Amino acid sequence: MAGLAGRLRKRPPKYSAAALAWKGLRGQSWPRVWRDCDLQRSYDAVVIGGGVHGLATAYYLARNHGMTNVAVLDKAYLGSGGSGRNTAIVRSNYLTPEGVAFYDRSVHLYEQMAVELNINVMFSQRGHLTLAHSDASLRTMHWRAEVNKLGGVNSSVIGPDEIKKECPSLDTSDHPRYPIQGALYHPPGGVVRHDAVVWGYARAADHMGVEMHQKTEVTDILCEGGDGPDGKGAGGRVTGVRTNRGDISTPIVINCTAGWASLISTMAGVRLPITTHPLQAAVTEPVKMFLPTVVVSGSLHVYVSQTDRGELVFGASVDPYANYSVRGSLEFTEGLAGHVLELMPGVSRMRILRQWSGLCDMTPDYSPVMGFTPVDGFLVDVGWGTYGFKAAPVSGEQMAEAAATGRTPKLIEAFALSRFDNGELVGEKGAASVGH
Amino acid sequence: MTMSRQGVQPTEVIDRAAKLRFRWNGKRFSGFEGDTIASALAAAGEQIFSRSMKYHRPRGILTADYWDPNLMVQVGDDPNVRAGHRLLESGMDVRSQNAWPSLNRDIKAANSLLGRFLTAGFYYKTFMRPQWLWPTYERVLATFAPGGKIDLDTPHAYHDKRYTHPDVVVAGAGPAGIEAALAASSAGASVMLVSHEHSVGGHLRYSSAAADQAALAELRTALDASDVEVLTDSTVTGRYEDNWLGIVQRNHPIAVERLIKARAKTLVAAPGLIERPYVFEGNDRPGVITSGAARRLVNLWGVKPGERAVVFSANAEGDAAVADLERVGTEIAAVIDGRTGGSISSTRGSSRAVDAVVADGASIGADLLVVAAGWTAPTSLLNMAGDRPVYDPAAARFFPSDPPSNVLATGGLAGDAGLDGLRQHGAATGRLAAARAAAVRHRLQSRTARALPVDGDEPAWAPDERAPLGRDPHPELYRADTHGMVDMSEDISSKDLVAAAHEGYDSVELAKRYTTATMGPSQGKLETVNTVAAIAEARGETISQVGTTVWRPPYAPLTLGALAGRMFEPVRVSSIHPWHEANNVSIIQAGQWLRPDHYGDPAAEVRNVRENVGLIDVTPLGKLDLRGPDVPKLLSLLYVNKWMKLGVGRVRYGMMCAEDGVVLDDGVTGRLGEDHYMMSTTSSGAGGVWEWVENWLQTERPDWQVHVTPVTTAYASINVAGPKSRELMSGVCEGVDLDAEAFPYMTVREATVAGVAGCFMWRIGFTGELSFELHVPAGHGLHVWEALMEAGSDLGVGPFGLEGQRVMRLEKGHFIVGQDTDGLTLGPSTGLGSLIKLDKDDFAGKPELAWAADRSLPMVVAIQPDDPDVVPEEAAQIVRGDTNEILGRITSSRYSPTLNRSICLGQVEADLAAGGTKVTVLLESGERIGATVIDHHAHFDPAGERLRG
Repeated sequence: MAGLAGRLRKRPPKYSAAALAWKGLRGQSWPRVWRDCDLQRSYDAVVIGGGVHGLATAYYLARNHGMTNVAVLDKAYLGSGGSGRNTAIVRSNYLTPEGVAFYDRSVHLYEQMAVELNINVMFSQRGHLTLAHSDASLRTMHWRAEVNKLGGVNSSVIGPDEIKKECPSLDTSDHPRYPIQGALYHPPGGVVRHDAVVWGYARAADHMGVEMHQKTEVTDILCEGGDGPDGKGAGGRVTGVRTNRGDISTPIVINCTAGWASLISTMAGVRLPITTHPLQAAVTEPVKMFLPTVVVSGSLHVYVSQTDRGELVFGASVDPYANYSVRGSLEFTEGLAGHVLELMPGVSRMRILRQWSGLCDMTPDYSPVMGFTPVDGFLVDVGWGTYGFKAAPVSGEQMAEAAATGRTPKLIEAFALSRFDNGELVGEKGAASVGH
Repeated sequence: MTMSRQGVQPTEVIDRAAKLRFRWNGKRFSGFEGDTIASALAAAGEQIFSRSMKYHRPRGILTADYWDPNLMVQVGDDPNVRAGHRLLESGMDVRSQNAWPSLNRDIKAANSLLGRFLTAGFYYKTFMRPQWLWPTYERVLATFAPGGKIDLDTPHAYHDKRYTHPDVVVAGAGPAGIEAALAASSAGASVMLVSHEHSVGGHLRYSSAAADQAALAELRTALDASDVEVLTDSTVTGRYEDNWLGIVQRNHPIAVERLIKARAKTLVAAPGLIERPYVFEGNDRPGVITSGAARRLVNLWGVKPGERAVVFSANAEGDAAVADLERVGTEIAAVIDGRTGGSISSTRGSSRAVDAVVADGASIGADLLVVAAGWTAPTSLLNMAGDRPVYDPAAARFFPSDPPSNVLATGGLAGDAGLDGLRQHGAATGRLAAARAAAVRHRLQSRTARALPVDGDEPAWAPDERAPLGRDPHPELYRADTHGMVDMSEDISSKDLVAAAHEGYDSVELAKRYTTATMGPSQGKLETVNTVAAIAEARGETISQVGTTVWRPPYAPLTLGALAGRMFEPVRVSSIHPWHEANNVSIIQAGQWLRPDHYGDPAAEVRNVRENVGLIDVTPLGKLDLRGPDVPKLLSLLYVNKWMKLGVGRVRYGMMCAEDGVVLDDGVTGRLGEDHYMMSTTSSGAGGVWEWVENWLQTERPDWQVHVTPVTTAYASINVAGPKSRELMSGVCEGVDLDAEAFPYMTVREATVAGVAGCFMWRIGFTGELSFELHVPAGHGLHVWEALMEAGSDLGVGPFGLEGQRVMRLEKGHFIVGQDTDGLTLGPSTGLGSLIKLDKDDFAGKPELAWAADRSLPMVVAIQPDDPDVVPEEAAQIVRGDTNEILGRITSSRYSPTLNRSICLGQVEADLAAGGTKVTVLLESGERIGATVIDHHAHFDPAGERLRG
């Protein structure tokens, strides 16, 4: 009955300066951020994937809909996938009205998050510059700015002088091979401490009774009544999941994975229009703060920000080939370094400390897939490409609503799987391909 | 601790005759050639080299080598320099990095008093309210960022790269690595030996034992006599697929740092072992050093590390340190033997004292504590090759498990032996590496297309018959009975890690992320195993159960400058460019090209083309020369329209869609001969379309006989446009009848122009005027341009630029792919739906276009603002009345000098696409204006009478 006992446990201590001081004085330790639970035989809902999306979904299921008999399963540790590999940029200056409305809600939730989850996620709204190096990309920036304005998002096109003011480290002269001709400036954009978001959702969900199960790999999704083998596929319904720790029965399975999203969905007989590409990133040694904003250059395939620890964090566009490898390549760091130096020649003496990569599930229109599938009880929150982290709060909120009510919330109607059948694609390629 | 320079040591690497002067925090110091920055400062009695990140605790020498976390300094504009490794140079300006106002008196050291409140991850638990104060908190936290300062005026100095294909690369130049290199070279392999240190020899360099010195001399002599290429002060930073190696060379005579990219047939990993610090209370006090640091200081630089030492030794290295210290006169207060249960539990004392407290609580007075507690195996390169190392508790370190067969480990990484045993294993490894490299070389040659015949059969893959190295027993010494620093650069103690594990961050990856242990500049070389040990202890598990983190490239950090090298992105100009520059041109950067935007007055240029004749340089226009009997099939596959019946001399417009039906490119293709076609693409699409064509041919239709040659820059292209263009052309062309009937619209002819043979020209144009598009062998471009200018002087000929062309194409309503279309614009949305022939067997995008055929899609339309003087911005949104609902947008807009009014192209929802529809345009200023969709795309000459002329 560990699960029941867990659900009835007392609310653990809140984080605060006073609590830190008190525990420091008394030499007390803090309780576990989330419990170690025994795996139950059945749950009201099972979330596959213990990253920000899965954890946010579980959190909102409990918080907004009172569904607490929920398990989040992860084959490794919480936040081991894209949640811990992204470059932690949050923004809402997208290109389509649907994208703008959706990400604007996400930024709003990020702004509330530290207080709501009672953990400092260090949301640093330091401003976000998307550079234009040609009149063609400047034209796209104007387009985005206009759509953003209509969506109530703070975003405008600024010229080299103003860019220099916001971010003196950039070379705004006309010498470089790719001179900076202007930028889309988005003051509310910034960076978040990504791991803290993972832990914050896990901790808050745990407080309400949700169970987190690490090292628990889903090996099959159990279905009945579908038109495919083993009752899988369209027209069927979900009955449970099979894991490396035994079978679980549940009427609702939510696929919140990245990298393996298409393979997991195939377990329920649902095919997704997704190809998986690695996206590489790297970090330098720390230096004293000198880069005040987030800087993105689509033409140069690079985005960069400086962490509060002083490191520069870089990311690129996805590798051009589909691949499940997360090893990283030498050529990537070479290209990246060249492009960063094009923007900021002064950092040539900084040293790359570590490179890594994560897996990105790309859809044909560079927009995610959220909501119901032809298999009853099997929901997806997938296809997040390179922009999943910044959407975690809002997608969790909306997915929870869909799972709990059985209806698709308006905010995510445009992102339904069925759009690939009826052709109503959501074109975010322009804002998302390197749009961090 | 009082360090000082001693008499000449037989093994020292300094040249006492060469004195170097430098500055340290503004004060004058001197050292000798061969000193590192740290050894020179230590010899001068400096104790404190840095302040720690969080508590600003004073830090001194720990390992006295590259990985020493306490020896990061700023040298001029170069931040985070490893003072334990960087050689001293005359005139260096060296500064400490993380202290204010000074290294000895640092205000933030007050944080030490708050240590109990500032446990790892404390910042996650506070600073949440009030929310508006967070930016201020953040600014304060950010002042704790460690590291040096960036000087934004630092020039991007010269960095070169080198590409090489050696048979064998040996990473690490200790005795085993040198033997491996020598043996592989003797076996006929080309060998590159990469030494992280400034000279080869590994641990022999700082051993005063006569046998070791004799062996070192012998190995160096043998290397000098061999064909092995030796790189010193260089590191193999990464091993990627198929032994693709990144090597950073830090001592190149010209480049600040050089990246060497090597495709090795076999890689020998011989990095030796890294000495692991021991965790106990006060283990980060200046004066607590590793045994290796003590031996390096004494033997390499003649520095006595202290006057009175306690040595904690659990291995032969520690014992050797005792002997070295005694030789330079350091009094040995006590030797605590870790092999027989002795332990150190803490240190005490004031600034220059490091009193060691041993297990029974007794305090031994000293100014130096030397620790030899064990080894970490730097398995990084093997990890990068996919190997997962395995922990052996009896030897207290990780060993390789099953690296791929083209990666071989030797030396301390592979096991233990006496010097002779290590050398023999190294030599056997080198022979094996050479044999396998020979097999790879044979395979590469014999399996490469068009390779010359290779001698003999492919050698068998040599079996690994090396006698394995042993594993010396070593006590598992990670932490004493007290807590101390695990990660010096991050200020993370074992107590922090235990607390994190109890909080639930109990896997090594979670603990690493939560506490930031191992995230600092040495990337876990000194810290990872102690971190794992602390977590294992907290969980009551073994080190094997907890496992280790994944080591990622680079093994040693390298500069962005070295990685970037020189940027090979040429600026492209046409052969006519000098004329433009001499004629008041205003240049626009378009992709890689610099192009004439206008020559002073674009409106006048437009009027001149409409009235007389103008020339535009359109060289960047993409051109693909297609030959072979199957070209029509290729064209039918890639364009949406039909191509099987294009006659010789005819030209046709085509639109390409991607497989999702989205417009990819457009242009004209002409048939120059029976099996010879010329395809033109948009300027920005030139590269992409070539790849697209090759991709289809190579992966989908390899049986088709088509030969593709990109000839964009082989021709200079000139469009001659205007009512007087035929008259102009007739003055310079030979061998072609320019008459409208002989050379009608949409045909192509070869000709000799201004004496230049081999030109071809087609009767097309983007401007809507009678025009001839000339393609001239590139070398003659300038000559032909000048000839046209001269011949047309009576006709009022003048140049026009991209801006004029854009105005005229907009007057004609021609869309530009990528400007008037976007990543979602399907073929029919362009208004050219009738071009799409769904009755063709197959073509790229057909299923999507068939699907789209009966759907209402957003459309590209021509729009005219009701007020002819208002030119909406390109990007202005089309909205529903006074609402913010978006119904479309303006994609192109200009003021037309021909029509004297503003004209636009835009994309609108399907139900607004009919001619005469009134729309509302939201200007950037916020003003909403009325506009009208017109019947056809062309604002001017919709019937096209002028261009057919």
